[in-house]
Amino acid sequence: MSYRTIAMSLFLAFPHPLAAQPAAPAPPPPPAAVPPDTPVADEPPRITQQQPPIFPDVARPRQQPTEVVVHVAIDATGAPSDPRVVSPPNPPFDDLATVAVQGWSFAPAHKAGQPVAGALDVTVRFDPAAPITGETISITAKLTAIERGHATAPSVGAQDVHIEAGKLATEIPHKDATELLGWAPGFLLSNEGGEGHAEQIFLRGFDAREGQDLELRVNGDVVNQAGNLHGNGYADLHFVIPELVQSLRVIEGPYDPRQGNFAVAGSADYELGLTRRGLTGSYEQGSFGTRRALLTWGSPATNSHNFGGVELYQTDGFGENRDARRATALGQVESSLGDAGLWRLTTGVYLTDYHAAGVIRQDDYAAGRKGFYDTYDFGQGGAATRAFVLGDVEFQHDDTTTHHQISLTAHTLRLREDFTGYLLDQQAPFQQPHDQRGDLIDLESDAVTAQAQGFLRRRAALVGLPQELELGYFARVDRNSSQQYRVGVANERATYPYHKDADLDATVGDIGLYAAVNARLAPWAALRGGVRTDLFSYDVIDNCAISSVSHPSKINPPGDASCLSQQDFGRYSEPVERSNTAGTAILPRASLVLGPFAGVSPSLSYGEGVRSIDPVNIAQDTDTAFARIKSYDVGVAYKGSPAELAVELRLSGFRTHVDHDLVFSETAGRNTLIDGTTRTGGSVSGRITGAWFDQNASVTVVRSTEDATGLLIPYVPDVVVRSDSVVFSDLPWSAAGHPVRATGGLGVTFVGPRALPYGQRSDTILTLDGSVSASWDRYTLGVNGSNLLGARYRLGEYNFQSDFHSQAQPTLTVAREFTAGAPRSLLVHLEVAL
Amino acid sequence: MSRLGHAGLAALAAGLAACGTTGGSLVSFDVAAAGADGASTVDTALGWHVELTRAKLHIGAVYLNLSVPISVSQDTSCIQPGVYTAEELSALDVDVLSTALQPFPTRGAGTDDRAVTGEIWLTGGDINADTDPTVIADLAGTATRAGHTVPFSATVTISSSNRGIPASDPSLPSQHPICKQRIVSPIKISLAPRDGGTLVIRVDTHAWFANVDFAALPAGGAFPDSNANPASQNLFSGLRAATASFQLAFQ
Repeated sequence: MSYRTIAMSLFLAFPHPLAAQPAAPAPPPPPAAVPPDTPVADEPPRITQQQPPIFPDVARPRQQPTEVVVHVAIDATGAPSDPRVVSPPNPPFDDLATVAVQGWSFAPAHKAGQPVAGALDVTVRFDPAAPITGETISITAKLTAIERGHATAPSVGAQDVHIEAGKLATEIPHKDATELLGWAPGFLLSNEGGEGHAEQIFLRGFDAREGQDLELRVNGDVVNQAGNLHGNGYADLHFVIPELVQSLRVIEGPYDPRQGNFAVAGSADYELGLTRRGLTGSYEQGSFGTRRALLTWGSPATNSHNFGGVELYQTDGFGENRDARRATALGQVESSLGDAGLWRLTTGVYLTDYHAAGVIRQDDYAAGRKGFYDTYDFGQGGAATRAFVLGDVEFQHDDTTTHHQISLTAHTLRLREDFTGYLLDQQAPFQQPHDQRGDLIDLESDAVTAQAQGFLRRRAALVGLPQELELGYFARVDRNSSQQYRVGVANERATYPYHKDADLDATVGDIGLYAAVNARLAPWAALRGGVRTDLFSYDVIDNCAISSVSHPSKINPPGDASCLSQQDFGRYSEPVERSNTAGTAILPRASLVLGPFAGVSPSLSYGEGVRSIDPVNIAQDTDTAFARIKSYDVGVAYKGSPAELAVELRLSGFRTHVDHDLVFSETAGRNTLIDGTTRTGGSVSGRITGAWFDQNASVTVVRSTEDATGLLIPYVPDVVVRSDSVVFSDLPWSAAGHPVRATGGLGVTFVGPRALPYGQRSDTILTLDGSVSASWDRYTLGVNGSNLLGARYRLGEYNFQSDFHSQAQPTLTVAREFTAGAPRSLLVHLEVAL
Repeated sequence: MSRLGHAGLAALAAGLAACGTTGGSLVSFDVAAAGADGASTVDTALGWHVELTRAKLHIGAVYLNLSVPISVSQDTSCIQPGVYTAEELSALDVDVLSTALQPFPTRGAGTDDRAVTGEIWLTGGDINADTDPTVIADLAGTATRAGHTVPFSATVTISSSNRGIPASDPSLPSQHPICKQRIVSPIKISLAPRDGGTLVIRVDTHAWFANVDFAALPAGGAFPDSNANPASQNLFSGLRAATASFQLAFQ
């Protein structure tokens, strides 16, 4: 998407100048002429007010001044009707020209001093170089449904960030769509599980893990997997091709009744789209045997929501055991259902296979026993597949919008991780004698998710002000079958599975209803929010419910079996146990948004959220919503266009309380339940877009503490700084009539020392990523670089117990471990627009 | 990023780092062992007066626990995650007859949590190895009772063949894993390691010979290295008498 489209999308409330020129003196083109039944006028119709057309985002060769001639009938009142393009066909300019003309104002023709019907041929001029200032565009009411696009929910305050991708997506290197979350303030991503493993996300003092506390959506469809054995809410976004992300909306905090399960720290919704039309192919190759091929297609006759994309990727990875391969195919079609309806169908398939390096002990690295990029266990890695189909329909009438969406997703996951080495293999007396055989965990999950959601939004005027009421529903069922084995390790290689840790079949249901209002209390004050209620249900079959017995049968001893079918003294028992439970949560949410006052909008928000229970912890009739969240936000946002710039600034402060939290315990070796925790902090963020640059930046500070002790919560970052900068300009030379355009991008990430257990602090992280490219005609050649400083940094740092047999005797106490951040890498990139 | 910007961010980070902690701290400390006072002379309950001329004990590792390790029938693991708070991983042959502190080759490490039990690992290598030729105890001296003096010597090793306890219940084949024979635990303590201090292990020989009848030794006075011999078995039990044979303190 060009900077112009970014600017345009930000402009809908801003002043900007006339970019189209009046028609006269344009020659009358055939076949249009004044209709024969129209009286010959003494004075023809004339334009009294015009507004510029939207310049479409077309391939670079077409970004030139363009004219479209539109014949329009003007009745005796001056109202335009029946606009028809009479110049040679030139999509998508034709549609945008007719839309623009429909929004103009006309004075009717006059004959003998009386207004009469007439017609006019106007030339609508599209000029990509025209400066942008001036008057407001207001053409929404005259657009068809497909031109209006999907209805969006109103902003809930300064912590509600909506970002159009644009050059931030194409000019700053991003390995996957999860990294795009860095556009919003306060995100830190970590990944200890390899390129095919979902990222661990930190936000606002929360360790949201791989999605436990952050609701992730694609086109509104929730991606988080309920009931995933690796982590409830596991969300893998690697199936989203970053170039097919058109925009991203992040709400930090649970303030919108539309946010559902997992929206504890907030939510993020990716809207897919391809703004660059036509067929584009790209290939990049570089460090560590990395190769990526991408093909995207979008017909110029359709909008950005119609596209197809295929990506192939492989890498040998840096250091030891980090190779990966993936392939993704995504496609979407969108079209009208009459003038008021819109339908969209999205489908995708994703495959990946990879290895992972896991953690390194700091003492082994310091003593030279292990290299910084080494691994202890070459058996680590995984694989995943995903196939989905998502469809929605929407109807927008004058005062009512209805929307319905259904989706079906099949996903498989295999994870092999070893963070503890040789520590967990307990000797039971009824087993054959054995050593510590190794802690490589092999987890497999097969799941199917069916989801449906929708809403009805009604608009009406009350006390002379526009009001909205929305009633919505959400329904979801996840069927998940998961097993986890422990695999032996010898000489750093996997051997055979010797123990089954878990075998669960779970059916998890979630039905939610919400009512939301967008109430205008005054022209400058809006109250937005409502209440949501969810019912969570769990039906879990534990197929390995008995793993130990104090007094085993002497006649039929269990031996080394993992899942036993006996109780004490040999009493027979089926190895399964079934549990079911359900619970409800009622979640009020409200935001007061004031202004805008000269572009400034203060806001105040309150919201309650819930963290649903992990199926692993289900027992008969357990309370399913086991942790409740209360969150407060105060902020101010500014939107304006001073000095021909598009400016967005946000300042917010927040406080979030969780009544029962989960924190990793080093001594227990797992997440343990503690009492309440509180997170308090603030962020400053903003985006400035000009004629030759696009700058997005944020600073977030947060303090996360346990209520009972006041001690800090470990692992969450308390300072995160992010900056993304893109500059672009035509160079002072051209070839064959086409200019050469240069673009450069730079991304900077700074994370302050994170609190670790036992009063420790991690290292700081400072990385620079960037790219430079040159474009000529339909070709682009560039270089992308990650970690340009070549910093050797620890992406994740932990304190826990592990023993990798690196010393003479087992290492059994808490020690520092880390995952290595990627070293400097360079990729050469070639792109061709066909 | 400009130097000013970098310095500013670093100052911000440092300021935040000073505001709050997760509690506790990691510590490293010296570790030393020595004999207890009067270790060379022991008067036993069986009436023997023992004079030791040589007493060396091989300590393979030391662990401090913040809880009492589980010791019930359903769990015979020698390593139990979640209980260890400090450790010394290098080995030392301690001259038990000397009260002078003998330092371990490497420093110990752990947390400042209060430990309530300690473990002494009497091993030369893998705690689970079926066979370990490492001499755990090397003793020599004389034992006198009623005017009769028995010169004795003892070389103690711990392997399945000589110190293993066979499973008495065929349904519980791992009822007595060999690692349990090599670990002296629980040693009752109450201490919190701190950075820069010294963990001192005092080895007291008085419990070693508590139930040893030197008259049952073969001619020559050499203890058979096997639990099949009652005297040797009682000596082995005395070596592993936990709190009676080992005192741990932090100074």
